[in-house]
Amino acid sequence: MCDFSEKLVAWLDHELSFEEAAELERHLEGCLECRSGVDAYKRASSELSAYCDEILESQARRGTSRLVLAAATIGAAAAVVALILALPRTRVERSALHRVQAAAAASPAIVAKGMPAVAKPIQKVHRRHAATPVQNQGANDAAAPGQASFALPEEPAIQIAIPADEMFPPGAIPEGMHFVADLTIAADGSAERLRLSPQLAAVERSTNQP
Amino acid sequence: MSGDAANLALPLSRLSAGTSEATTLYRELRKPLLRYLVCLGLSSDEAQDVVQDAFLNLHRHLAAGGSQENIRGWLFRVAHNQARNRQNRYDRNFSAPSDEEIDGASHEETPERAVLEKEKFRQLGKAIRLLTPPERECLLLRAAGLRYREIGEVIGIATSTVNDTVARAIKKVADKCNV
Repeated sequence: MCDFSEKLVAWLDHELSFEEAAELERHLEGCLECRSGVDAYKRASSELSAYCDEILESQARRGTSRLVLAAATIGAAAAVVALILALPRTRVERSALHRVQAAAAASPAIVAKGMPAVAKPIQKVHRRHAATPVQNQGANDAAAPGQASFALPEEPAIQIAIPADEMFPPGAIPEGMHFVADLTIAADGSAERLRLSPQLAAVERSTNQP
Repeated sequence: MSGDAANLALPLSRLSAGTSEATTLYRELRKPLLRYLVCLGLSSDEAQDVVQDAFLNLHRHLAAGGSQENIRGWLFRVAHNQARNRQNRYDRNFSAPSDEEIDGASHEETPERAVLEKEKFRQLGKAIRLLTPPERECLLLRAAGLRYREIGEVIGIATSTVNDTVARAIKKVADKCNV
């Protein structure tokens, strides 16, 4: 190995004194080994500098990508929250008509009050007629504008005709005696109050006649 | 030596010129400091913290009437010591960044050249990791543009030792990388 090889790096880094540098430069003119060494050290220094730059840039890119990922995640979460908040939050009230319809659908013999032409409230209902199709007066009224079909009734809105044989043993009820049951339906569709009113069919007929 | 050396040879009288000069100083020295610390093995966040602390210490040092000689060497020494403190505090040894630190998103135009570039850096990283800590630190400080005297002040060794250490380190790297 050449004696000057130990000074090549220092010469490249301008760390040699003026005299030492001049001596080395004279030597380099005739020493192929030292010239190749200088070239190799120059390349290594250049590559090392590029390596350091690449490490720094990679770290910066990694930090940026982390920031972008975090920003994207936060943005997506914010969008989901905004979407949830923007959804209509009005409570859909079930109209009285719907409640009546639901109650009527659940009962085999519910008739709306005020529809005597179709289902007479005072009427003997035999067992075989217990499953008479529900007459929905509210649905007919709904077609007429301005009526209170969708308003909550202030008093019991329906009457239920129940066969007397369903409640009393045979013979316990005198002939011609009927009961009118007034049922109050609660908001959730359940029966809130049931009131039975005994009536005589003959008296009813006579009082109904003009 | 890197061409940054000439730019970083700061006339110290500039520091007394006000905030704009301090901003210029920060702009010139921030990247070399970050590069040294990251290549030393600190994470990007850690390096940022250390650099900010170093400049904060510089501000205090100057405000307290400290010496304005060789501010660049002073900053590197402070940053180097802080990195050492972190090393001791967290009981870990810094080494050259692993191959995973290089994401391969280089500036090469073709994928083939990018792969070759990444392979070259992988070999360099391997060679640097095989160096002793003083050799690695001397080499990285040299790549940051510091003179041998400054490197000696940062690490705490004699200039002649820096000379020998740098020569030995650069030969090892050149041999390992066949450059």
